[in-house]
Amino acid sequence: MVGLSAGERQFIYGGIAQDLRSDGRQRLQFRPISVQTGVIPQANGSARATMGATDVIASIKAELGKPAPLRPDKGKVSIFIDCSPTAAPVFEGRGGEELSAELSVGLQRCLLGGKSGAGAGIDLSSLIVVEGKVCWDLYIDGLVISSDGNLLDALAAAIKAALSNTGIPKVSVSVGASGEDQPEVDVSDEEFMQFDTSGVPVVVTLTKVGRHYIVDATLEEESQMSSAVSVSVNRHGRVCGLIKRGGTGLDPSVVLDMVSVAKHASETLIAVLDSEIASAEAIDDDDAI
Amino acid sequence: MMRELHVSLNQTQKVRLQAAFQHLSDIGSQASSGLLVSVSDTIPVNNEDGILKGHGTSEHDGQVVATLCGVVERVNKLVYVRALRARYKPEVGDIIVGRVIEIAPKRWKLEINFSQDAVLMLQSMNLPDGIQRRRTVVDELNMRTIFEENDVICAEVRGFQHDGSLHLQARSQKYGKLERGQLLRVPAYLVKRRKQHFHDLEQYGVDLILGCNGFIWVGEHVVPADNEMVEDQESTLKDKEQSYTPLEIRQNICRIANSVRLISALGFAISVDAIIDTAEASKSSNIDIKDMLGAEFYVQTAEREVQKRISLLKKKRG
Repeated sequence: MVGLSAGERQFIYGGIAQDLRSDGRQRLQFRPISVQTGVIPQANGSARATMGATDVIASIKAELGKPAPLRPDKGKVSIFIDCSPTAAPVFEGRGGEELSAELSVGLQRCLLGGKSGAGAGIDLSSLIVVEGKVCWDLYIDGLVISSDGNLLDALAAAIKAALSNTGIPKVSVSVGASGEDQPEVDVSDEEFMQFDTSGVPVVVTLTKVGRHYIVDATLEEESQMSSAVSVSVNRHGRVCGLIKRGGTGLDPSVVLDMVSVAKHASETLIAVLDSEIASAEAIDDDDAI
Repeated sequence: MMRELHVSLNQTQKVRLQAAFQHLSDIGSQASSGLLVSVSDTIPVNNEDGILKGHGTSEHDGQVVATLCGVVERVNKLVYVRALRARYKPEVGDIIVGRVIEIAPKRWKLEINFSQDAVLMLQSMNLPDGIQRRRTVVDELNMRTIFEENDVICAEVRGFQHDGSLHLQARSQKYGKLERGQLLRVPAYLVKRRKQHFHDLEQYGVDLILGCNGFIWVGEHVVPADNEMVEDQESTLKDKEQSYTPLEIRQNICRIANSVRLISALGFAISVDAIIDTAEASKSSNIDIKDMLGAEFYVQTAEREVQKRISLLKKKRG
């Protein structure tokens, strides 16, 4: 990451204070978002999302597995993010591990809710095939190809688009299995169930620079942040997850204020994302035909 | 690292853009000066004796073959291939913008988008008190008060060192630290060498410096101050706020910066006229500053360039 001179930092601070950032955006405006779905044909669902120069890919693979004994009526989802060295030279080898772990945990918190599975943005009970015995395991993988700030929001958008692109094969359970036996399941190759993504939240990261908050920070703006709060909001305006990053402490009233600002900003984001996903899926359907 | 502008175009916009680029390549091929070759193309040399094979060529089966993609240039008996998308190639007298990455004994090391870091000697820099004198040990210890790490500096290429790295000088008033603005990085081959690289855009109140190395500085107009050393004070928050760039100038800075980003994303040569034209066009079409980086203005700028080149060609033909 290139450092910034004192003069440039002053300029960025001044821009944020005057509501005119370096690329002309206002504090609460997002960069142009574009979404492509179906970029990885071998996966059950995939999507590529770009926010300005930040470019990420999410892919979803579904495999049959056994549900956890404590939660026999819920499927399992695991999220793993990888930062590719093409995004920044520092990510080569083990350099990107810390950031990858931070992003993975952040997205798990935002999309999967608490430890008990309560408040999950993804409906885990829809992944059950035979209660207590067979369920779908979803493996969500994210790859950061190009990084220009705001990775968490871009990854969450890509995951939401990938989920709407995901087709879970229909499974027919052979009757007659009883007791402790593993039932026989027949995975269909042709029929697919589309995943229901109406409840999947988006993530809005608010970066605090000086006294103001900005949405969708670029890499330079992120280097000036004192702290950042990422809020995951679903389309009903409910907060599904909350993460605070950065070394500076925040007064609780500031945190609450940031949450409400994030909720407000999420409305535009959800609208834009929905239209982008719909048009991406339409292009996909056109290509398929 | 160059961060590309990602523009997502809808179908009509893609068609328009392709048509515009097709026009541009047609116009370009009409006006081309030399033969375009790619790697392993034979260069027609008519079996002359004593042909000197220059850069980008090599001998293969008795024929001169290109090893680069570019334009064939011919100077008497020398044949060479000039690459179009080359790395920055410095020449003495180039104006460049660089960032300090290290302070070494009696010199600053700057990053300038070249294979090696450039060196700015303490002697090649005016002292803050303005007196021409020998640099003492105290001066050497106080180098950080002149330029710190990460400072953005404008300087001129004085020459080459024995290991190929650059020697810079910043003795004139117009060179020195750049503040109150933003630094943009574009591919170096888009910035052509001209007579003037410092542009004081009075109608905007903006200073524009086109560094030959691809670093472009867009900032508030700063009057070259007299040699006064400003004491490094702890300024209060209020002072800092009052010293922010005024909003109108900031809008102009952002507009010009977005024009530069747009022109470099389209791959057009960056010149003051092109930048001002794009900024004026966006103003007259009432396009919001942040929408300058959107798909519609992207396509419109390409189409405008086509019109410009067509009219230029007509003028040439008379």
